[in-house]
Amino acid sequence: MFRFPDLQIIKRVAAVLTLAGAMTLLGCSEKASSPEKQSGAAGQKPSGALMKASADGVKHELFSVGQPATQAQIEGWDIDVRPDGLGLPEGEGSVEDGEMLYEDKCASCHGTFGEGEGRWPKLAGGMGTLSQERPDKTVGSYWPYASTLWDYIRRAMPFPAPQSLAVDEVYAITAYVLNLNDLVDDDFVLSRDNFNSIKMPNKDGFFIDDRPDVKNPRCLSGCLDPATIKIVETIAGITPTAHIKEGGTDARAYSEEEAGGDNTEAQSAGKSVHDSACKICHGSGVAGAPITGNSDDWQARIKQDKALIYQHALEGFQGESGVMPAKGGQTQLDDIAVKAAVDYMLEQSH
Amino acid sequence: MSDSDNKNMSQGSGGLLRSKAMPSLKTLSGEAEPLKGGDRRGFLKGLLAMTGAAATGQVSAVTSRGNLPPEVPSWTKSLGRGVVSKPYGTPSVYEKDVVRRTVPWLTAESISSISMSPLHELKGLITPNGLVFERYHAGVPEIDPEQHRLMIHGLVERPLIFTMEELARFPSVSEIKFIECPANGGMEWKGPQMEGLQFTHGMLSCCEWTGVRLSTLLAEVGVKPEGKWVLAEGADGAAMARSIPIEKALDDTLVVYAQNGEALRPEQGYPVRLLNPGWEGNTSVKWLRRLEIGDQPWHMREETSKYTDLMADGRARKFTFVQECNSVITSPCPEKPWQNAGWYEIEGLAWSGRGAIKAVDISFDGGVNWLNAPLKGMVMAKSLTRFGYRFKWPGGPLLLQSRALDETGYVQPTLRQLREQRGVNSIYHKNAIHTWRVEADGSVRNVQIP
Repeated sequence: MFRFPDLQIIKRVAAVLTLAGAMTLLGCSEKASSPEKQSGAAGQKPSGALMKASADGVKHELFSVGQPATQAQIEGWDIDVRPDGLGLPEGEGSVEDGEMLYEDKCASCHGTFGEGEGRWPKLAGGMGTLSQERPDKTVGSYWPYASTLWDYIRRAMPFPAPQSLAVDEVYAITAYVLNLNDLVDDDFVLSRDNFNSIKMPNKDGFFIDDRPDVKNPRCLSGCLDPATIKIVETIAGITPTAHIKEGGTDARAYSEEEAGGDNTEAQSAGKSVHDSACKICHGSGVAGAPITGNSDDWQARIKQDKALIYQHALEGFQGESGVMPAKGGQTQLDDIAVKAAVDYMLEQSH
Repeated sequence: MSDSDNKNMSQGSGGLLRSKAMPSLKTLSGEAEPLKGGDRRGFLKGLLAMTGAAATGQVSAVTSRGNLPPEVPSWTKSLGRGVVSKPYGTPSVYEKDVVRRTVPWLTAESISSISMSPLHELKGLITPNGLVFERYHAGVPEIDPEQHRLMIHGLVERPLIFTMEELARFPSVSEIKFIECPANGGMEWKGPQMEGLQFTHGMLSCCEWTGVRLSTLLAEVGVKPEGKWVLAEGADGAAMARSIPIEKALDDTLVVYAQNGEALRPEQGYPVRLLNPGWEGNTSVKWLRRLEIGDQPWHMREETSKYTDLMADGRARKFTFVQECNSVITSPCPEKPWQNAGWYEIEGLAWSGRGAIKAVDISFDGGVNWLNAPLKGMVMAKSLTRFGYRFKWPGGPLLLQSRALDETGYVQPTLRQLREQRGVNSIYHKNAIHTWRVEADGSVRNVQIP
């Protein structure tokens, strides 16, 4: 078998050695040992090259490219928090304040009690389920450190408006999610000072990668008894197969489990599109979006001609309270899907 | 078998099982020799016949007939479009189905989701930039490179901040490496449920990546002796962050700004990303804005809540970085069925996060017997590697499998071995031997042998 890269490396090593030798003879040794030569050539690992250089007492010349990062620059971007609390800023937040913030900013996806809407993450419950057939991995049942919760809320939540929360708000929402998991009392106030008192139930549930954990001998013949071979078939109908299969679907838009039993097909389709494409903003009111189900938000809009509402949803619209991008920015949706979602939102909000 | 039959199957290992008649192995091994002499000519003839058939299908669908011999095709009797009519070239209109696809029910919406590469349509080792699988946690940011910076700080002598131009001044390296989501195949721990290769294995791509060795940048900032971990953080709305051990960072981690000869695509981290060769794709943080050196890992959400592997006993593995040795047959596959009996080349891909692929074996009988399948083209560490096996299909059913072996001696395991060790709820790192059942009519189904 032809192994191209090995051969290539050998050639390059030879070429560089020759070049280096020639340069030394010509009095160019300083250039030959420049960092470019050390790290760029011969397929050598530069770390090895650098370490060897310092071990030999040869001073490594830095490229000196880049600017010193100032303290202010670092402070603006250094947002991470570790399990030992390193990185937590001064601040505090109560379970009580957290509940209000959570209702406003989190519940539309994560559910009022952290139960998770649709396929959005469930945050609470699931204690003792990790070894069961259907484990429920929530903040309370699975996450090993409270710092991860604080860090993630600050860096990435709420989903449509990341890094928009004030430090005290992050403390408050963290406290409330811990409270939803019965890990702190209703009157608890979380702060940097008491952060390390939080102990997560599954703290000791993790172990460092110990793979390879499976050893398969390279058997070549008679490896198993053909009579014992059983075959499990693929479940049909849940893969998008329109491009390869006659009569296949592009996607099962909505699982039967999630579909409301009493909904018509059209309503289910509208809800499905809404939950996956529109709810990000229309569930929480982000960017001035009228909240689905809030009749105050929708009253004036419902009075408009439906064709105009469709048009605004399809083509985009600059309103008084905010901007509706064409199809909410989900331009891959076809018009029928968007209209179904509009129908669903109107139906839910009158 | 009809689809209505399949609807009765549950996906659990306790689901409805059924066995199929095995092909006679004697027949198979006798016929499965490399092509020689007259056989080769027959094979070429067969190929020509197949190509002709394919062309007929395409042409009749798009234009009137009359482009086939003895007629002179319309494109031979007219002029095509001129230079820079498409300043950035795009594939032929006839390749419109060669695209990334997703399984919509996998995630709550498309902004934090994943798509898969069409492995069944790819040739060689390189995944074209527009077909590299996507994984975002907060959508694709459109980053202005002039306003993007990479900051390196923490336990270092000289915290530094780099512009993209400054990064490009360091000596560059170009390396061909695969990148794979550790959840590749993860929908099938409990049972098969994907009807195509794109969905069973498509969270996998391979590119030539160009950038700076992270060790070069770490030398610039001067890592203090107590610096043992590197936090890599993205500039996207998820500020996705992972902890990387310093040993890896100093070994082969790259800070890359180009893939397959051009700037990174926005989907792949433009203007700059991390690349941890052979490790789970999630550690190769895209839209890289910050590297912090610390003395312990950070236990970010994506290395605790997610990307940890739950075992049957309720404990979970963490920092499961390496993508272990894996392989899959890409032709035939559900998307690329066989037609009539005769010569075919069985092809597939093998890869290992621990190094180079040493060998690939294939089985026609569900793993009872194995034959060595030659590796094709370049064989490089932590890159995709292609294998091929010329085979005269007698026309009966087969249970096709491939099994890869890497340079550490690790052999790709069976599904049963993985399940016995880990249970069925670990989501990530399912690298089990995969089974395609070739039916008597040449169609191919995804099945499991539990």
